[in-house]
Amino acid sequence: MTEKIKLMSHLVAGYPTDDLAFLAAQALVRGGADILEIQLPFSDPSADGPLIQTACTEVLSRNYRVADGLAFISRLRKTFPKITIYLMSYGSLVYTPGVANFCKKAAAAGVNGMIIPDLPFDNDEGLTENCLKNGMVNIPVAAPSMASERLEKLANSGFPYIYAALRTGITGRQTSIDGSTLAFLEKVKSGGSKVYGGFGIYTGQQAKTLASKVEAVVAGSVFVKIIAQDQNNPELMEKEITEKARELSNI
Amino acid sequence: MTSSVDGFFGQFGGKYVAEVLRRPLDELQAAFEHYMKDDAFLKELHIIQRDYIGRETPLYFAPKATELLGGAQIYIKLEGLANTGAHKINNAMGQCLLAKRMGKTRIIAETGAGQHGLATAAACAKLGLSCTVYMGEIDVRRQQPNVAAMELYGAKVQPVTSGSRTLKDAVNEAMRDWAANFENTHYVLGSALGPAPYPDMVREFQSVIGKEVEKQCAERNIEIGAMLACVGGGSNAIGFFAPFLEKKGIRLIGAEAGGIGPGKGENASRMCSTAARDGIMQGYKSRFLLDEDGQALPTRSISAGLDYCGVGPQLAALGRAGRIEFTSILDREALEAVSFFAKNEGILFALESAHAGAAAMKIAKEFNPHKAIIINMSGRGDKDVFITSPVFRPSEWKQFLHAEIERLENNKDIHDTNIMGGC
Repeated sequence: MTEKIKLMSHLVAGYPTDDLAFLAAQALVRGGADILEIQLPFSDPSADGPLIQTACTEVLSRNYRVADGLAFISRLRKTFPKITIYLMSYGSLVYTPGVANFCKKAAAAGVNGMIIPDLPFDNDEGLTENCLKNGMVNIPVAAPSMASERLEKLANSGFPYIYAALRTGITGRQTSIDGSTLAFLEKVKSGGSKVYGGFGIYTGQQAKTLASKVEAVVAGSVFVKIIAQDQNNPELMEKEITEKARELSNI
Repeated sequence: MTSSVDGFFGQFGGKYVAEVLRRPLDELQAAFEHYMKDDAFLKELHIIQRDYIGRETPLYFAPKATELLGGAQIYIKLEGLANTGAHKINNAMGQCLLAKRMGKTRIIAETGAGQHGLATAAACAKLGLSCTVYMGEIDVRRQQPNVAAMELYGAKVQPVTSGSRTLKDAVNEAMRDWAANFENTHYVLGSALGPAPYPDMVREFQSVIGKEVEKQCAERNIEIGAMLACVGGGSNAIGFFAPFLEKKGIRLIGAEAGGIGPGKGENASRMCSTAARDGIMQGYKSRFLLDEDGQALPTRSISAGLDYCGVGPQLAALGRAGRIEFTSILDREALEAVSFFAKNEGILFALESAHAGAAAMKIAKEFNPHKAIIINMSGRGDKDVFITSPVFRPSEWKQFLHAEIERLENNKDIHDTNIMGGC
């Protein structure tokens, strides 16, 4: 297969600094990323593994505010007017300032969609509605362990996109893509939603296996790992990120 | 508001979790609802409560405290006499027994003070289940005696080094483990909080405390004026209050950790503090100590068991409705209460429970002598010796620790060690 694979890549806002995170974003786009998923650090990211939690804790220890994260997103939006930007975070940061208020600010910063895994799609505190009002989409997260009736309900709820977590558990471990993964993806798509597939995607081989089944392949921890390792050597960081993004997006 | 409607107590509660946790929660809810109507399950639990936990626990009349404080008759529910030293065993045993019926072989739990971890470790040892306890690194340090005991029961204590390294981080870590391993694993959450069905389930297993109080008071014609319990997450409080929620004449009072003062980061007061707000965290909607963005604020309390940024949703709802009053007790006042009840009644309160004792000391005078106020001593204070000793006998304690370290480093038997002075 020689076609480019659509890639959604994940970054923690402000990690390790705003400037280095910005360099990383540039390197991702250069490497073929079509969508940037920007995580706003939360003090208790219970769906994330140790790698991303450590990154979030580090950023928050500088007294990093939601406003700083949104300013970072604005900067990305100005630099990359055509890239799709999704905001990933947790319910607390959305609910505390008021869902309507948060969505308005996110849209103003240039966000196109929201991924908030702990606001359930059928009890989302008005997230879907407020996304719509502000020209964004709410992207719920499906998991392979979902009971079939619940998954069916999600698939038929009219969401334009659904994020399919391809493995039970948390971010950061490698996932094997087998028959049951593909069957799960079919179910997620069954109501007509487009599907982003990720969780534990580290190699081009995995991306290729997934590519034809999803709208875009999602990779997160693999980049956070590179950033964590190379934060004192920005040139190497950029180079490795671009190479990895190229590998995953098949260019 | 005696139980939830679809997981909600008024506006609080819910099941705010990522979909990965939805199935284990839904399965748990179904199993809980089934077994709470199953006679064989309830009978087995009852026998364990009687013969292993040591129920019923005494309702003790405290004559000297009554005399010294003036006003109400002071009673203490000696829940700390339950096996493993606190009320936590009521819930841990109930959930472990339920998990066994569900076919789970592995148990995980979070712990703050260590009392819930200890209770879960003991329940697992008794029922033949494997046990891993997540505990914040800071709590591991300040509650070493409980860590040692958990290991004796055969549990693995996993220190949590992420985030603030306390109870809330242990909850996150346990949720992660559960998300990945729920097929063979049950997560025994220790307080009446978290996503549904935990608040209902924990209250039901803890309500044995309140039911006994109700029976004991009826047998002895005790007229209750008020009931007092400490509130961290609130499992002892909601279990103690549960049968009395609709008995309007009885005041129900929750004592929160006032820490060292009213400032941000100085306490763990979710119902009394101005820094608290409605929020969604760790799977439920309730009152939390959060900043304007929604980030968890640091908390502070001398008692590890109350050092948590959220409060059970049912208690939050009952507080908002005015049915439960909340008060805030400083570290200093809790220590004074430990000393007061130890010296005058021969009863050693855990630092957590001493917050309820201190609140009772403040309000006793408001009542006529024919009325009783009942303090729930949810745990006993043996575990706190590393915290209370430096306060009550600092120089002797320091000498002891130095001598003990020297002895261990030189690999000496206790009989050959240096005399600590005095004799």
